[in-house]
Amino acid sequence: MSRDYEVIVGLEVHVELKTATKLFCGCEAAFGADPNSHTCPVCLGMPGVLPVLNREAIHLAVRSALALNCEVRPFSKFDRKQYFYPDLPKAYQISQFDEPLAEYGWVTIRPASGEGRRIGIRRIHVEEDAGKLNHLGQRLGDATGSLVDLNRAGVPLIEIVSEPDLRSAEEARLYLTELRAILSYLDVSDLRMEEGSMRCDANVSLRPVGYEGALEDLSRVEIKNVNSIRNVQRGIEYEVERQAEMLLRGERIVKETRGFDDATGRTYSQRSKEEANDYRYFPEPDLPPLVLSAEWIESVRQALPALPDAIREALVSRGIPPKDAEVLVLDREAYQYWLQATERFEDDRLVTNWMLSDVARLINARGESYAKAAVGPDGLVELLELIGSGKISGRMAKEVLEAMFETGKRAEEVVKEKGMSQITDEGAIRSIVEEVLKQHPAVIQDYLSGKEKALAFLVGQVMKQTRGQAKPDLVNQLLKDVIHHDYNTAQ
Amino acid sequence: MSELWAMDAYALHEQFASGAISAEAIVKAHLDRIQAWDSTIGAFLFVDAEGALRRAREEDAWTLDERRRRPLSGVPVALKDNIVTRHMPTTAGSKILGAFLSPYDATVVDKLMDAGAILIGKTNLDEFAMGSSTEHSAFHPTRNPWDATRVPGGSSGGSAAAVAARMVPVALGSDTGGSIRQPASYCGVVGMKPTYGRVSRYGLIAFASSLDQIGPMTRSLRDSRLVYGVIHGSDPHDSTSLTNVAEPIPSQEQRWRIGLPREFFGDGMDDGVRRVIDQALESLQGLGHELVEISLPHTDYAIAAYYLIAPAEASSNLSRYDGVRYGMRASGGDLLNMYETTRDEGFGDEVKRRVLLGTHALSAGYYDAYYLTAQKVRTRIREDFDQAFQTVDYIVTPTTPDTAFVLGARSDDPIKMYLGDIFTVTANLAGIPGLSMPAGLAAGLPVGLQWLAPPLFDAALLDAAETLERVLQPMPWPEEVKA
Amino acid sequence: MDLSDADILHVARLARLHLTPDELGPVRADLNRVLAYVSQLQKLDLEGVRPTMHVVETHAPLREDRPEPSLGIAEATKNGPVVENGMFLVPRIMEGGASGE
Repeated sequence: MSRDYEVIVGLEVHVELKTATKLFCGCEAAFGADPNSHTCPVCLGMPGVLPVLNREAIHLAVRSALALNCEVRPFSKFDRKQYFYPDLPKAYQISQFDEPLAEYGWVTIRPASGEGRRIGIRRIHVEEDAGKLNHLGQRLGDATGSLVDLNRAGVPLIEIVSEPDLRSAEEARLYLTELRAILSYLDVSDLRMEEGSMRCDANVSLRPVGYEGALEDLSRVEIKNVNSIRNVQRGIEYEVERQAEMLLRGERIVKETRGFDDATGRTYSQRSKEEANDYRYFPEPDLPPLVLSAEWIESVRQALPALPDAIREALVSRGIPPKDAEVLVLDREAYQYWLQATERFEDDRLVTNWMLSDVARLINARGESYAKAAVGPDGLVELLELIGSGKISGRMAKEVLEAMFETGKRAEEVVKEKGMSQITDEGAIRSIVEEVLKQHPAVIQDYLSGKEKALAFLVGQVMKQTRGQAKPDLVNQLLKDVIHHDYNTAQ
Repeated sequence: MSELWAMDAYALHEQFASGAISAEAIVKAHLDRIQAWDSTIGAFLFVDAEGALRRAREEDAWTLDERRRRPLSGVPVALKDNIVTRHMPTTAGSKILGAFLSPYDATVVDKLMDAGAILIGKTNLDEFAMGSSTEHSAFHPTRNPWDATRVPGGSSGGSAAAVAARMVPVALGSDTGGSIRQPASYCGVVGMKPTYGRVSRYGLIAFASSLDQIGPMTRSLRDSRLVYGVIHGSDPHDSTSLTNVAEPIPSQEQRWRIGLPREFFGDGMDDGVRRVIDQALESLQGLGHELVEISLPHTDYAIAAYYLIAPAEASSNLSRYDGVRYGMRASGGDLLNMYETTRDEGFGDEVKRRVLLGTHALSAGYYDAYYLTAQKVRTRIREDFDQAFQTVDYIVTPTTPDTAFVLGARSDDPIKMYLGDIFTVTANLAGIPGLSMPAGLAAGLPVGLQWLAPPLFDAALLDAAETLERVLQPMPWPEEVKA
Repeated sequence: MDLSDADILHVARLARLHLTPDELGPVRADLNRVLAYVSQLQKLDLEGVRPTMHVVETHAPLREDRPEPSLGIAEATKNGPVVENGMFLVPRIMEGGASGE
């Protein structure tokens, strides 16, 4: 895009809290039940009902706010946000308007180039989720009607509103990834974007270089309800380009809400300003203010688990390369797998290497996750111990690991069944080495003339003859010995 | 023994608990009374004769000991039809609820049942409790038992008329700006609005959430105390209900300082009303109490504040009637069309007027000038009372400036109609307890005397009013007067 | 500062109330009378006065996160005007016709 504009992005992230019950009633909050089976007079918005706050929802919200470096208000209040829609039973959502639960936090993002950067969090507030509409027909536009399921209505949400501090689609991706990692360590939500337990709206505007007005006055486009971090990034990328082209053509950017089409990678207009909502917020008369004591807030802070920044530091100080540490930190399950494995096996780096290469590959291929991997940390450690004791080679171990994933058997068992054992008998390997060298005089010459790669070829030939069971460093050693002893006539 | 339907709840319960009479006989007597009178009065929207008789027979199976332990056992009770019940339909006096049958009972209903009360029916009201005459019911107007050409007051007009006409000994009403006290005054019964938060609102169809309060309507103060005793108390389903707040101990002085706010005794008062009130005040003096003129300077602004706050909250509370999950649905067109047609056909004119007013008061650009300003005025009104109660124990006023008016007399002029609430709205705005008790008759129509007390002094207020009840002429009842 | 017909129609749309041309005039007259009446509040000096949003000065009680029985689908939907497969059926939602989230 043209360099005459700076990209300004702010994100609003909705996160469903992992409580047993809804925010204002005792109905179960679980996902996936039969439509309307988790409803009661309160979440159906029946006449005469009143809301009563769920303690655990407030606890999880405060936990999140503290982990995101926010100040938690000792007094916050609830307000009604009013609009008509069939998924909103009372025709108002109980939310927090001008005195939210928490404010003034931040998340640090680490762009590939350059220093870590703090992205401000303007506010975090608690609110209830809406129900779900199932449209009859292919799309909303040509549906003949919609079916309302209110199981989700009243499930507790927090909305995390960032400052407009993000300067690119890539930064938005980093912010969301980091935010999700932090929340995952807190265990406050399922964080499944595809199921809607984490949702993101992106506000995108372009600021002309030299513009000195308020950011609020720039025409802002809101991309609503994008269902993956990748798509948030794509949506912003598309939107930046679209707006830049409009500006280039001298067109005005209309403040509007746009959807994102996964198939085309484009955003499309949903609602223009003519229909701008007037939500008529006013303080919820049915709920007195929420009052939180400093002692209680402090006790929640004390109970926070280790968070990504501290974990990164700890990993690097244990000798894990920053790049690997990053991969582990961003996946809480991987980190927990790693923690369990390294507790029993002392070579942290070896565990890391195996996890991030072979284990990761197999988990992905099999559609598993670290928490539910067929080979857990104990299994991996047993395998690594077999390598360490010299019973099998690294190369053999890869094959063993695959078999372990497939059969669910332990490493030792697989090795025994396959009749694998590393050939450590020097005499046996020496005769194979001599045989291989006889067949490849030209390669020997290459090696002697300084081509190190030639040796690798010879090692490969020996391994092939031994069906991979020779101990590689021994093969290496013997090849060098024999070449120097029997072929080094040139010197 | 007098007719069963002529006895108050206290007496009925005693007779039943002592085994002298059966609950079935009590219920039958009241059903007969309803049968005979309600075609003239129109107090009820629904009478559950079968259910009440079944419940009565269940009550009759209890031992005398068990009857004694449950303070309302054997007593028929009617409910204003904005209190939801599982076994009777609930309409809120509106067409929009259609054939709605609540899947849950209001907390007060649970409490009444636990206390042994027998629910006999649901009473008429102005639609969603918006009105002061019960003419704004979507079904039919209710008539005043003292003069069937006149209104019973409202919005709890059905409950007031049912109690006054001896169709039921006690009923529950709800009071948002005077909706218990004003009809109590017009019908010559006792009506009490407790301190905000004393009685759970769970299951009361919300009109204005920050003002609504359920209370008893009875023919004696001892009955009001009995019913209040049963229905009040903290409720885990109502976040605004008061928890663990004991009744404060009132001054043990036998002589009180009673405040007479000069703003309530001005020119607008009907002469007949003034005469009755003056006599009551003399009686109070006769009891040794000191009458003190006080000022509640923001009284003049109360109606304006009330008519912003109540419609604003109502506009929000009534948004849920959208034809999706319950109630009536108008057919036709797309979703927007369905919403608008349903609400157009389902709501009456007064409800629409207030919903529009309230929506406007909350809309962008007007919130500060209207809703927020009104809530600040409310603070001023509370401060007025705080100050007054520094120097007086209770405040006494007429409940209304006039007696029951003729049907149709006020329907055309909203301001005139709203100004009728002038003496009652301040108690709702300040959250304090208030009650109206019959003080006598003016031109054959009842006149109510209003008592106000500091927040939480609900029990004390009932006791105080009862001391006056003891020395006043016993209130006759409509048929005696006419006979 | 009287409300115009357009203002009234805007408010009516927000409230999802349909007003016929016949109703509009009387409604406008009534609303403007009430608004003129309440405008007396503007005379008061309310500088620094805190609004009374809750008349009882208490704080929100917190409920334990323990599931309670739901109604069950049949009971939850028994009052529904149109119910299909245990869900409430609503007419089609036209683009922009309803202001949702």
